[in-house]
Amino acid sequence: MTDGQPSPTNDAQIVVSGLTKQYRNVLAVNNLSFTVEPGRVTGFLGPNGAGKTTTLRMLLNLVTPTAGTATIGGHRYPALADPLRHVGAVLEASSAHKGRTGVNHLRVICAAAGLPRERADQALELVGLTPAATRKFKGYSLGMKQRLGIAAAMLGDPRVLILDEPANGLDPEGIRWMRGFLKGLAAEGRTVLVSSHLLSEMQLLADDVVIIAAGQLVRQGPVDQVIGSMAQGVRVRTPQADVLTAALAEGPATVESDGQGLLLISGVDAPAVGRAALAAGVELHELTTERPDLERVFLELTAGKAGIR
Amino acid sequence: MSNLVRSELLKIRTTSTWWWLAIGAFLSIALAFAFNAWLASETLSGGGEEFGYTGDAASAPAQAANLYTSGQYLGLMFVMLIGILMVTNEFFHQTATTTFLATPRRTSVIVSKLIAASLLGFAFWLVTTVIDLAAGAAFLSLNDYGTQLGEWEVHRALLLNLMAYAIWTVLGVGIGTLITNQLGAVITASVLYLIGTQVVGLLFLLLANLLDNMAVLKWQVVWPAAASQIMITPGENEMLPAWWVGALVLVGYAVVSGVVGILITRRRDIS
Repeated sequence: MTDGQPSPTNDAQIVVSGLTKQYRNVLAVNNLSFTVEPGRVTGFLGPNGAGKTTTLRMLLNLVTPTAGTATIGGHRYPALADPLRHVGAVLEASSAHKGRTGVNHLRVICAAAGLPRERADQALELVGLTPAATRKFKGYSLGMKQRLGIAAAMLGDPRVLILDEPANGLDPEGIRWMRGFLKGLAAEGRTVLVSSHLLSEMQLLADDVVIIAAGQLVRQGPVDQVIGSMAQGVRVRTPQADVLTAALAEGPATVESDGQGLLLISGVDAPAVGRAALAAGVELHELTTERPDLERVFLELTAGKAGIR
Repeated sequence: MSNLVRSELLKIRTTSTWWWLAIGAFLSIALAFAFNAWLASETLSGGGEEFGYTGDAASAPAQAANLYTSGQYLGLMFVMLIGILMVTNEFFHQTATTTFLATPRRTSVIVSKLIAASLLGFAFWLVTTVIDLAAGAAFLSLNDYGTQLGEWEVHRALLLNLMAYAIWTVLGVGIGTLITNQLGAVITASVLYLIGTQVVGLLFLLLANLLDNMAVLKWQVVWPAAASQIMITPGENEMLPAWWVGALVLVGYAVVSGVVGILITRRRDIS
């Protein structure tokens, strides 16, 4: 993506470099480096406790890194002149005062950021929350709270959007709305970084992925490339499973059997399995190439690194 | 900076908490005024000794000054609580993230809270004083004691009252940054303000008896609420430091808690 040419969109590139956060007992983020490009939706993936939220909070100067830097358009967050006009963020633990109305919550932010107060009404309109503008935050549903968070992030019409688990608590319609909304923002040339653990949703939404586990980078790249880099499997159904297994045992293949005629074969491609079956005179009822999905890739890449640290 | 102060004032205006505190302050003014008015009429008609008011303290200006600052005792606690809530609300309702995203320069955020707090303290003082002056002047004139509004002692009491309101609100912000747990900060501060002062007074009295030295009582001034009382009390003697000692101590607490609060907030991880 970066070809060394200074591109006009570089002011919206996120660069994380050697980022490290040592809490008292836990190394939450360990020498993490990656880049996020404008004009694309980048999924930021990792098991619970992988350090996603800590990384995003270091990027936004809410948490101080132990080492390393994180910049947006070449600047650290506090060095941005008008941060909300550059960066909009929706973080999990960001909330509003329970007794304050939605529109007043946004007006408070507008006042602090020096934005005109009409932006509050416009942002509510943008996320479809206008009917609930003058209702107090404590009466909002989870989905409405998420929309209010997005409205707050959009107040300054920023070039960079950072969202931590934005799909949490949204119903299917809400998730579909969010997908269209974020894709639309990326299509306008904005940078969109979204953390999530909903992998099927990410496969539909993201152009690029950054996968981390145990605070370290596991894989970064376009979704297709990351999935394509994984070994493909072959799915076979046959009444003579034992014969075929024996025939394949010569080659590089590994075979898993469910004991009822279903074989999952990796290490060789479908034509090779077909030839082996023909040569051994084995009758086949099914022969399919299995493209791994993001979920399988994710589980394979993060295996053994997940869990509580 | 003016944007930030505006934002802080908007935060206060857009929730109902400050209404409750204003109502509380108003009720405490009404009660205190009724009591002080009764006290003044008893004292000025010659019954002051019953309450320990003799000499200067039993004079019309002294009683007028007391009347014109009615409601100060609880009023100061209410503005302190507002100051505390200005900070702890951010953590209790998890709005600190939003606040520091809009303004990553955290010193500016706390300073703007301090400024907004002093403005609010001023507003509380203004409303309280207008009510006290109207009711007090009416009461004193009707009872033929004269309004006493030309007396320096009265002016002095009003000005020091203003200073007390401003400092206690600022002190509240400082306490809030030191104890970010809302319930913890509110309870600690209220208990220290209401009960702590009596306990400290008692301790110093015991200590003075033990050392057989009444001058020890002067050192009560190290306790903020005692300093506040000393600041507004005219005169000085071997047991009572001058008003400015109280003022200095109180300002010292406000400055130290403000600075420490800023330093802590700058380093704090918001998660």
